[in-house]
Amino acid sequence: MTAPMMREELDHRLEAIGPAEILVGIPSYNNARTIGRVVHAVGAGLAKYFPESRAVLVNSDGGSSDGTPEAVEKSTVDLQSILVAHRVNPVHKIVTPYHGIPGKGSAFRMIFEIAKTLGAKACAVVDADLRSITPDWIELLVRPVLKEGYDYVAPYYRRHKYDGTITNSIVYPLTRALYGRRIRQPIGGEFGFSGELAGYFLEQDVWGTDVARYGIDIWMTTTAIARGSRICQAYLGAKIHDPKDPGSDLSAMLAQVVGSTFTLMEKYAEQWKAVRNSEPVPIFGFEYDVGLEPIPVNAERMIKAFALGQSELMSLWAEILSPEKLTELKAMKADGTELRISDALWTRIVYDFALASHRRVMVHEHLLKSFTPLYLGRVASFILETQSLSHADVENHIERLCQCFEGEKDYLLNQWDKPKI
Amino acid sequence: MNNVWQSGFIEPMVAFLKELGDFLPHLVAMIVVLLLGVLIGWAVKTAVFRVLVTAKFDQYSGRVGLSQALTKGGVRETPAHWVGRIAYWVIVLVFLMLGLEVLNLKPVDQFVAQVFSYLPHMLIAVVILIVGFLLGNFFARGTLIAAVNAQIQEARFLARAVRIAIILLALAMAFEQLGIAKTVIVATFSITLGGVVLALAIAFGLGARDSAKDFIEKRLKKERETKEEDFSHL
Repeated sequence: MTAPMMREELDHRLEAIGPAEILVGIPSYNNARTIGRVVHAVGAGLAKYFPESRAVLVNSDGGSSDGTPEAVEKSTVDLQSILVAHRVNPVHKIVTPYHGIPGKGSAFRMIFEIAKTLGAKACAVVDADLRSITPDWIELLVRPVLKEGYDYVAPYYRRHKYDGTITNSIVYPLTRALYGRRIRQPIGGEFGFSGELAGYFLEQDVWGTDVARYGIDIWMTTTAIARGSRICQAYLGAKIHDPKDPGSDLSAMLAQVVGSTFTLMEKYAEQWKAVRNSEPVPIFGFEYDVGLEPIPVNAERMIKAFALGQSELMSLWAEILSPEKLTELKAMKADGTELRISDALWTRIVYDFALASHRRVMVHEHLLKSFTPLYLGRVASFILETQSLSHADVENHIERLCQCFEGEKDYLLNQWDKPKI
Repeated sequence: MNNVWQSGFIEPMVAFLKELGDFLPHLVAMIVVLLLGVLIGWAVKTAVFRVLVTAKFDQYSGRVGLSQALTKGGVRETPAHWVGRIAYWVIVLVFLMLGLEVLNLKPVDQFVAQVFSYLPHMLIAVVILIVGFLLGNFFARGTLIAAVNAQIQEARFLARAVRIAIILLALAMAFEQLGIAKTVIVATFSITLGGVVLALAIAFGLGARDSAKDFIEKRLKKERETKEEDFSHL
C-alpha cells in the first residue's frame, strides 16, 4: 500500500517540484473504481493541451480504505493513444491526505495550499467519481483562466432532468436571484480558478464551518461573484458519475449546502440587496447534444416523506413560514402519486427559510433539517410534473422557477430588515 | 404585703419592660429591613421584567416551549412576569431572613442558619429543573426532526419519550439535590428506567414479534428503494 504523504515529506516534494503553472486537484474518498480513469483523463488533457506548461496533479484524499491512492499512483498516460507525439513536460503527481474536518471542503483547502506554495497560475478541480470526464474538460476549465484572463470557471453540463435536484430547485434559482449571475451549475463539482483566487480562498476563515464539507462549492462560487471576479462557464458535455454512496445522509448534505448559502446571504447582504434582475454568464465550449442514462426515481417514497413532515412538523414550520403559506401546506394533498408544490409556493418556502435563518428563530441545525421533507415534496412534485417532458422543456420549467425567484425577491428584501416578530 | 407586691408584680414587670425595651429596637430594625427588602424586591422585579421584555425573553420562551408549558399549567402571566416575580420573592425572603437574624433570638438564629444553608441547594434544584426542561424540549425537537427525516412513523412518540426521560432525570437530580428521599429516588429512577428498557425489549421480542418483523422488513425495503435511486441531489 502507498503510505499517505506526511506534511514534512510533502514540503520536500513541493520544494523539489518547484514552481508550476497549472495545478489540477482531485478530492477523493473511496473512489478506487473511477479515480484511475479521472487521473488518466487529466494527464491526457494536460499533455494534449498544455504540453509546454509545468503541471501538477494533486490527489487530496480523505483516508480511503479501498486503494484510491494506489490507483492514482498506478495510473499512467499513454501519449500515443491521445495522438500526442511532441515533447511534453511530465506531470508531477502528489497524493496526500488532507487535515481538518472530514469533507470535500477540507480536501479543497489542501489543494489551495499546494497551489499557493507552487505559485500555480491556473487551477482546476474535478470530482473523483466521474465516469464521463474527457481530456477536453481540462482544457475547458484551465484555458479561460490561463489565456483569457478569467478568474473563475464554473461547469456547464447536460445532466439528466432528475439529476442535481438541489441545484435545480434551490441553489441555481436562489443564487441567480440574489447575485444576478446566471451560473447554471453553481455547485457542479468541477471548477477552474486562478492561483490568485485560490490564495484568496485559502485566507478566509471558514474552514471550521460547513464550507469544509459539502458547502465548499456554493461558497467558492458565491465568493467569486461577491468579490467581483471575472466569471465564465465551460460546457463539459454530459455529467455521469458513480452512483452515490447509499449511506450518505441527504438531510445532512442538504443542511450543509443550504446552510452555507444562507450564511453567505448574511455576509454578502449589501451586495445582493442592490441586485435587480440577472444577466447571462459567457459559456465556452461547443454545446453538443448528448444521450443520458435513465435514472430510477421513486416519487411515491418522497411524497410519503413529505406527508410525514406535514403531519409531524407543522408546529415547527409555523415558526418559519408565513401564515398563508402554512395554511396552503396544511391543506395540500400528499397521497400516492399526488402532490403539487407550485413554483410560487416553493419560492416563498425557500425565502421564508432564509429569513428564519437570518432572524435565528430556532437552532440553525433544527431549521435546516426540518427543510428536508419540504425539499423531497418539491422534488416529487417536479418529477410528477416533468415525467413526459424533454430536456429542453425541463430547462424551460427551471427557467420559469428562476423567474419566480427573481420576481419574488422584493418580498425577501422587504422582510430582511424587519425586526424579529 | 408590700414585699409580695414588689416581688410578685413590680419586679417581673420591670424585667419585662426592660426586655421589651431591649427587644423593641430589634423589632423595629427587623421591620425596617423587611420594608427595605420589599422595596428592593419591587425595584429588582421591575428592572428584571423590563430587561427581559427588551431582550424579547417571552418570544424566546415561546420558541423553547416554556410559554406553552406555563399555559398548559394554568398560568396566564408571561414568563418575563414570572421571572420578575421569582426575583422579588427571593429578595424578600433573603431580607426576611436577615430581619429575623436582627431579632437576635437563639431559636430563630438557628432556623435562619438552617434556611441559609439549604438555600443554595434549592437554587441549584431550580436551575437543574429549568435546564432539564430546556434540554428536554431541545432534544425532543431534534429527535422529532431526525425521526421524520429517517421516515419513522412513530416520530412523535420517540420525541415525547426523549422529553419525558430528560425531564424525569432532571427531577431525580433536583430531588437528590434537595436531599428528599435520596436513596428512594435514585432507586426508583433506576428501576423505572431499567423496567422500561426491559419492557420494551420483551414487548419487541415477544409481544410485538409481528410488528418488529414488519418494522425491520419496512426498513430493509426502504434501504433497497434508496439504493435503487442513482440520481445525485447536488
